Amino acid sequence: MASSHDADATGITRRKSLAAIAGAGALGLAGCTQSGDGGDGGDELSGPINIAGSSTVFPLMSAVMEDFANEHPGVDPDISSTGSGGGFSNFFCTGDTDFNNASRPIQPEEEELCAENGVEFVELIAATDALTVVVNPDADFVDSLTTEELAQIWEADPAQTWDEVRDEFPNEEINRFGAADTSGTYDYFIEAILEERGHTSDYQATEQDNTIAQGVAGDQYAIGYFGFAYYSQNPDQLKALGIDDGDGPVEPSLETASSGEYIPLSRPLFTYPSIESLGEEHIAEFARYFVEQTTNEELVAGDVGYVPATEETQEEQMSILEDAIEQAQG
Amino acid sequence: MATDNANADGFGEVSRVRGIVFEYLSLGASVFGLVALGVLLVYVSIDAFDLANASPVWLLTYFLTLVVPFLAFCLYSANDPAVTRRALGVLGGGLVAVAAVFTAIETLLVPIPRLNWQLAYLFVVGAPVTAYLTYVGSGERVGAVGFGFLGRLLGGAALGLAVGTLFLVFDSLVWFLAYTLGVVPAVALYAFGSARSVPQAQTAALPAGLLGVVAAVFLRGVVPTYPSDLLIYLWTIAIPVAAAGAFAVAERRGRTAAAVVAGVPLALAAAGGFAAAGAGLPAPTVLLVLVLTGVPTAVYVSRVVDAGEGLVGFALPVLLVGGVVAGALIVEALGVPAPDPWLDPSFLTEAPSQTPTEAGLYPAIVGSVIIIAMVAVLSFALGVGTSVFLEEYTPGSGPLGTLTRIIQVNVANLAAVPSVVYGLLGLGLFANLLGLGIGTAVTAALTLSLLILPITIISAQEAIRSVPDDLRRGSDAMGATRWQTTKNVVLPEAMPGILTGTILALGRAIGETAPLIMIGAATTVFRAPDSLFSRFSAMPMQIYVWAGFPQADFRYGVVAAGVITLLIILVGMNGTAILLRNRAERGN
Repeated sequence: MASSHDADATGITRRKSLAAIAGAGALGLAGCTQSGDGGDGGDELSGPINIAGSSTVFPLMSAVMEDFANEHPGVDPDISSTGSGGGFSNFFCTGDTDFNNASRPIQPEEEELCAENGVEFVELIAATDALTVVVNPDADFVDSLTTEELAQIWEADPAQTWDEVRDEFPNEEINRFGAADTSGTYDYFIEAILEERGHTSDYQATEQDNTIAQGVAGDQYAIGYFGFAYYSQNPDQLKALGIDDGDGPVEPSLETASSGEYIPLSRPLFTYPSIESLGEEHIAEFARYFVEQTTNEELVAGDVGYVPATEETQEEQMSILEDAIEQAQG
Repeated sequence: MATDNANADGFGEVSRVRGIVFEYLSLGASVFGLVALGVLLVYVSIDAFDLANASPVWLLTYFLTLVVPFLAFCLYSANDPAVTRRALGVLGGGLVAVAAVFTAIETLLVPIPRLNWQLAYLFVVGAPVTAYLTYVGSGERVGAVGFGFLGRLLGGAALGLAVGTLFLVFDSLVWFLAYTLGVVPAVALYAFGSARSVPQAQTAALPAGLLGVVAAVFLRGVVPTYPSDLLIYLWTIAIPVAAAGAFAVAERRGRTAAAVVAGVPLALAAAGGFAAAGAGLPAPTVLLVLVLTGVPTAVYVSRVVDAGEGLVGFALPVLLVGGVVAGALIVEALGVPAPDPWLDPSFLTEAPSQTPTEAGLYPAIVGSVIIIAMVAVLSFALGVGTSVFLEEYTPGSGPLGTLTRIIQVNVANLAAVPSVVYGLLGLGLFANLLGLGIGTAVTAALTLSLLILPITIISAQEAIRSVPDDLRRGSDAMGATRWQTTKNVVLPEAMPGILTGTILALGRAIGETAPLIMIGAATTVFRAPDSLFSRFSAMPMQIYVWAGFPQADFRYGVVAAGVITLLIILVGMNGTAILLRNRAERGN
């Protein structure tokens, strides 16, 4: 503060210079302020998206979410892998999630639960999966099974040894690895193969495909079933069986599933947006984005391992979705 | 056990067989557990750092540039010919032994997957020798200075990152108001009171502070404009930390030195913060890391320089950084293929992805850190409160004494209740009944606090019970009230034990998955949580779902990187708590 030295001569007093410094400081600080509401405004999409449900749909949905989150920095999506049934009964039908993924259609009791809580929804087809029956690569005796033989292995009162299923099979115990009963894969397997014969409880039940794969890979006489994605990523680890529904055995693959040859185990995968949630713009936009992505060959088939939807299906789904959005945003 | 075969005539014969068998059985038990854990950790590290693809030349280069200088530093510090001989003997003999045993197993028995003898040598001989020498070296002056210096650098950086992470969730504006209106006046009043001997001012400090904090909460919505986050952190954290540092130095060296020791790092940190803001980096975190690293380090350096011993120790960080740089240059020059670790900086800063190479853990790390911070505070407060009440205030006899004992038995039983049950409790009580939301961070923190509460209570009770009654009686005899005895005698004496119990319990909480699944915590989130009521994911949840992915890269590489990250954070957390505990022990 040299100014105080010759204050009289120049008219600059200590007080004045202090005031000037304070003023400059205040101006400087003003550039470093923020407002209290912290909002980032604008018409950029923002808000949370909560999704739960099927572990089969999880990789597909989570891949789509990742891309959507990268495109819209304001959107905060999260996803839980709870199993189709667990997601409906614990989270979706109680109004806590915006979407529920399912590897089978919603069941009547779940619809009732949703109705009780006033949760309305629409059904969208996400992709097609080829439910794959696998055995150990060393199991040379079997390459395909008929649907009847498959039912004998998995029904409520199942065959205990392989030779009970077909005479030329070895007299060895069958070790079963399958989906847990909270899983949509379990429900779909019953619907497609077992029907009223019921599912055996004499098996290793799990939500983790990895556990099924490890179990089957470590046991020459084991059998298991899960979604196609796991098999398509690890084709050498396990052997997929052809399924014979009366027209000769058909191996599971993206081609046979999309052409409709791989029956009865090719199944549609679903996601169920809640109509109330579609009233929020960022969720509606995400639903549209998801339906657009269902025909994306590279994402659905390449990254995840499911059969992409056809253009026709996509158009149908989009119009169902637009109707629902209109109803919600009315 | 002479009575086992008692002989009325004299001492007689005592069989030592049982004793020897017992000794070896306990040795076997400890070796089994440790070896199994060791093998698991070795394989996880190999996967996480892609060491299976590291060429022997690459390993040798870094061994020579990084590990050997470090060992030499430790040996120099230990300055003990016997230790040096032993270490060199083990390193040399181990090389031959491991190579021979490994080759023998591979040729005669089974091939060992994803290991070669060089790696086996590093893990079986290199790692234990390094740990031993670190321990021996840090006991002497030079090593103590080196590790103290390094520890303050690393610890300050970690603390800065952790505080920065917490402010992602906690509202920095409320903190700014609470600090300005509550903490500052309270501290000022207290300091004024003790400096001028005005007890009224000291008494008024706490109410004034509380009033300020309450006012801050109300004013938060009213005040429209705030300083930027950088200025808030500068004012509320950087300046107080620097002031504390200056205070510590001022007592010893006088005011000028104090101003330099605290002011230079503060100025550097502030400059770094503004530079980071200009460069588009997260400026508040840069400021926090710089100031929490700089001030303690500067204070430490000034203290060591004053003591004038072991100054060579300051070379340790230089040695390590130099080793890494030299290794990288040599590897580059030789064109040796370097491994491509899964655990790299982008893994720690990116969001999860469907592509294994792009997958990151950042949102889950933030979620876990925030939850564990809240759990630590909650369970410590609730646990210590309960145990002090049960031990110090409840009567030991009569109907109330019986009630106390019943409660204690039930607390002990609660420690054995499966974690899923606590998850259900959390879902019903916190998420639905209290309406804190399904899968929110606050629900998770409360649930996990309840989960570890019995463990915290029991260990705190044990610690309080082990304080000798003589101390309490002595305090009583001096005319102290029960509150004064508890505050001045019992709690300081019991604190190391209480902290040990809390550390163990927190270690359990950070790794829990089942209760988080029950309360609906998300498996995968793509953004770090930004409030206590936003959905979050925790590290174990994300690791669990990766372990189920079809791609082998996820199940081996990414999961291993996640596990190592979880372990490092756990060790960091425990390390902090152990430091606090040791400090509490020294305080006695």
